[in-house]
Amino acid sequence: MSDRQFVIPIGPQHPALKEPESFYFTVDGETVIDVEPRIGYNHRGIEKAMEVRNYTQNLYITERVCGICSNAHQTAYTGSVEEAGGIEIPERAKYIRVFVQELERLHSHLLWLGVAAHEIGFDTLFYYVWRDREIVMNLLEEISGNRCNYAMPTIGGVRRDLNKDNFPRWHKLIDTVYERTEYYIKVASTEQTILDRAIGVGYLGKSDMIKLSGAGPNARCSGVPCDIRKTTPYLVYDQLDFEHIVVDNGDVLGQVLVRALEVLESCKILKQVMDTIPEGEIKIKFGPLNKVPEGEASYLVEAQRGELIHYTISDGKNMPFRHKIRAPTMGNIPSLVERLKGGYIADIPIVLAGIDPCFSCTDRMVFYDEGKDKKWSWDETQLRKYRKEWFEK
Amino acid sequence: MNPVLTAIQVLLFPGLSFILSYTLYAEWLSRKTVARLQNRTGPLHTGWQGILQPIADFIKLIVKEDITPAAAEAVVFNIVPIFIFAIPLAATFLIPIQNITTLWGYQPVAAFEGDLIMVLFLMSLTVLAVFLAGWSSGNLFGAVGATRVAFMMLAYEIPLGLVAISPAIMARSLSIVKIVDWQVAGVQNFLANPTLPGFLLGVVMFIGFAIYTICLLAELEMRPFDMSEAETEIVHGWQVEYSGVKLALIRSGHDVKMVLAAGLLTSLYLGGPTGPVLPPIVWFIIKTSACIIVLSNLSALFARFRIDQMVTGAWKYLVPLAVLQVMATVALSGVI
Repeated sequence: MSDRQFVIPIGPQHPALKEPESFYFTVDGETVIDVEPRIGYNHRGIEKAMEVRNYTQNLYITERVCGICSNAHQTAYTGSVEEAGGIEIPERAKYIRVFVQELERLHSHLLWLGVAAHEIGFDTLFYYVWRDREIVMNLLEEISGNRCNYAMPTIGGVRRDLNKDNFPRWHKLIDTVYERTEYYIKVASTEQTILDRAIGVGYLGKSDMIKLSGAGPNARCSGVPCDIRKTTPYLVYDQLDFEHIVVDNGDVLGQVLVRALEVLESCKILKQVMDTIPEGEIKIKFGPLNKVPEGEASYLVEAQRGELIHYTISDGKNMPFRHKIRAPTMGNIPSLVERLKGGYIADIPIVLAGIDPCFSCTDRMVFYDEGKDKKWSWDETQLRKYRKEWFEK
Repeated sequence: MNPVLTAIQVLLFPGLSFILSYTLYAEWLSRKTVARLQNRTGPLHTGWQGILQPIADFIKLIVKEDITPAAAEAVVFNIVPIFIFAIPLAATFLIPIQNITTLWGYQPVAAFEGDLIMVLFLMSLTVLAVFLAGWSSGNLFGAVGATRVAFMMLAYEIPLGLVAISPAIMARSLSIVKIVDWQVAGVQNFLANPTLPGFLLGVVMFIGFAIYTICLLAELEMRPFDMSEAETEIVHGWQVEYSGVKLALIRSGHDVKMVLAAGLLTSLYLGGPTGPVLPPIVWFIIKTSACIIVLSNLSALFARFRIDQMVTGAWKYLVPLAVLQVMATVALSGVI
């Protein structure tokens, strides 16, 4: 390190980071030379906690993995358990799950647009976007009773029905969101001060993105088509008509565009669901004493941040033998590091926020310092050995 | 000169008491304007429409704990906030507001030939104080903020000085009062006998007004030029370690600077505290309020620039434009 370079720590507590995570930036003047991410401040032992609770209790735990994508986690959890146990849910329940998931995508993407505007110091846009986000929040509250953690999916269906009488009113509300988002796209792609801060900032090309295996809007803004709703459809997404949004800007502007255009697509999906939702049951009973038949399954969901994987193993009891969660932010961190390198200090917040990081989703395992012998990863035998030692102690 | 009269002028009106209460009003006006533009209500609960909120904030900050970090250069760190507050306050004494002996007079408290240079000098001095504040705080974010302040000064200081001089060239005086007198006479002449050079001069002066407003936005560290205290990047930059009384002084210093900026804009480009029917003090309040609303409006309209964009932008566009403006002024001063 030359004497012109110094290290700026950002995090665990920093206004640009909504959750505790730490980054060490080696900077030369105003230019970022190197980035060292440190994850693991938020490890809560969720997977272990799920192994000692039954499937119904785990609904509440998965929902609280993340505040913004709570419904995505619950959808993935219920989906994986149903697939492992061979439980088939009613058609109407699938539509309702899609409806809540898309509403959640709307509120999450609008939240991100506001946060991105705030990070580049454009608070006026931030307040406007968040005002319009309230429409979605009120809609979610009307459906589920909560503004976040909606507790809608349950194993075997959903917990609350949608009332058909409200659909005409909801159509109008969603039209409002659609129009406002079109206006914000216009603002974001014409306002010069935004373009100055967005074009070419945090650029990552398609081949690099494929190498670093990013997920979600972060990858789609670099031209990688990876929307799980299109590539491996789940629930009823294959019956709905919507675009696969991919742009090849690769910079912050691309991320804004991907998310804003996805808001428009989500609005279309919501309107289609309201038009085509079939009548019928919303929930079926499963297994005696809530036992799930033996089996294992992984379930992929396109959460707002990207591909969310839940993998569950059932051994026939009313508790999962093992449940593994892999959140999209985990896959986005390597590409985030590449995006940050070579940029300016002033661009750190917007590039960081650009991948829409959710670190509390991410932290599944911490690095373990075993004396001086530092172990960075464990294979299965080591994990088993550790578990045996822990329980025999 | 009557010593009692001077004391009243310095301490009560239009001196300390008036300026300080006016800064509180200016902060309220600015906050309220920005809030309404951002679809918020702004302060509401303290007094009518929250007009007492700035003084409430000031009192709150004064009673808060005052910390000097162990890593800071204690002496500099503790003294600098006083300078940040006092230097712009001293400069406001050179702004024409209102005489207390005559109703229509607007001679400043401490006017002298060449006070325009003095005001510009004092404004540059506050930047130095701000730089020292960030540098002495012993914090990385403070240091980055301080260097950004210095970079910004390199960018806006030259166009700011140039366009401040162009009215002085026309008035053939470096005294702010004489510049105001020249503007009053010039406008009266133009209304009585409209000519093409007079109209052109108006256009040139409007360009000067625009450049001056942009430079003052940077001087005040308001958006889009608030990169020296960008909260999402460097956590309020040079102010990061300040708390309690010192932060209260720094914030008041910012408000005083805003009043000073609005007063300078008014005096140099808007005809000072003069106008039909009403006495100067009323016109001063109307015109500076308009300036503060314009500044707040601009700061709500844009995203924050990056420091490199700001510096290159200033040298690419503002400096040549300011030079052209001064050249046009010189050319026109030969005609008129």
